[in-house]
Amino acid sequence: MARVGDARSGLAVITSSALMIPALQDARADAPPTFTQLGLRYGQYREDDNAGSNTFGGRQERMEVDSLHFSLVAPVAADWALFMDIDREEISGASPWFVGQTAEGASKVFMSGPSIRDTRTAVSVTTRYYLPRGNAGLNYSHSEEDDYQSDAVALDGAVNSADGLTTYSAAVSYADDRIEPTQGATPTDVKREEKQISSLWGGVSQIISAHAVVRFGLSFSYRDGYLTDPYKARDSRPDSRREWALSAGYRHALPRHRAAVHVDYRLFDDDWGVQSHTLDLAWHQRLAARWQLAPYGRYYSQRQADFFSNGANEGGRYFADDHRLSSFGAISLGLRVSYDLGDWTISLDGERYRSNGSWGIYGGEESPALVDAWRMALGLDLLLD
Amino acid sequence: MTGRLLPVLLATLAATACQSVAPWERGELARAEMQWVVDAPGQRLRAQVYDSKEASSGGVGAAGGGCGCN
Repeated sequence: MARVGDARSGLAVITSSALMIPALQDARADAPPTFTQLGLRYGQYREDDNAGSNTFGGRQERMEVDSLHFSLVAPVAADWALFMDIDREEISGASPWFVGQTAEGASKVFMSGPSIRDTRTAVSVTTRYYLPRGNAGLNYSHSEEDDYQSDAVALDGAVNSADGLTTYSAAVSYADDRIEPTQGATPTDVKREEKQISSLWGGVSQIISAHAVVRFGLSFSYRDGYLTDPYKARDSRPDSRREWALSAGYRHALPRHRAAVHVDYRLFDDDWGVQSHTLDLAWHQRLAARWQLAPYGRYYSQRQADFFSNGANEGGRYFADDHRLSSFGAISLGLRVSYDLGDWTISLDGERYRSNGSWGIYGGEESPALVDAWRMALGLDLLLD
Repeated sequence: MTGRLLPVLLATLAATACQSVAPWERGELARAEMQWVVDAPGQRLRAQVYDSKEASSGGVGAAGGGCGCN
């Protein structure tokens, strides 16, 4: 998408960033896009088979997702622009149903069987208005699956300081989600439930030198409603959840090496007892002949929810044996390669994600259902005059 | 927890805010690889995987709607 050395590329980059994050470090960030951008991504996500030693019934397949993503950035008038994203996903495979104990006392997962088949379609539209020293955006998004619907609205804004060195940003959002579980061979206990998600976010970014910029952010989300997973055999969760996330980011340019270093960190905490640390590192390297290379790595560690246990204790008020609520650590390594063809840019992104109970910094039970996966995305971007 | 860390982060920000950088000195900061998000559509796909396989989400920007991701 981004093309270095082209007068339009800086603007293209800024507008693509504006779509995701209003906190930008350059006064030009407040200028609306003057060129239309089209983007297409084809993605594949493949989870490794569950190991036979961890699974009742031996080795079994898990989830697969094929996705198509379309994005549009279009100037509408001198001071406002339209952003649109459309996603289409085909989901299939099996997911963990419950965790049981063997006669020897070992925990093993019982899979749902390869019965899951779903399609997700999502549309997100943002209109953004640009002011002399800031911008404001209004977003509406809708996501629909066979068994799940979500509607969300978000309002965000950013203001630059007079000297352009500091950007203050804020956002507020509200989502209304409905679930109507598909009734398979083993019917669920739930016919129709709903939940709402409200969130607030504030952030500030600061230019600290001609080669470095830093930012901090703090967010709060409140989930209210049905938060249990209806497809798990042993799952009963509180009907509210308060989440805090503190984030920090750093970008450092290395002109002599034609590169930039990215460092991002997030501390997450909630009232279910989950706490996590996430560290993202990336090296963005410009190469000759319009090539760009970006190796990246991510470390994640979370503490289990208070009510998590393998072979969930159904005697308690809340219980779950969902591996996503267990203590574990995850490491992912990836590489993104892009090639500039003038108005066109082609990119390929591949990532390996692995998780393990002993890789985390928190103690707790290791779930036998932890995920290892491959992810790949092929991208094509076009800039129109 | 966040109450203890926030003052530290704000103090760090205040300490780093001392150096003035003129607009004509910000060329390197405007480069593609220096943006907070270099590949926004790709980042969406990445974040979706993490959010659906881990118990944490968010941290930058407003939260969106959920999904029934397994």
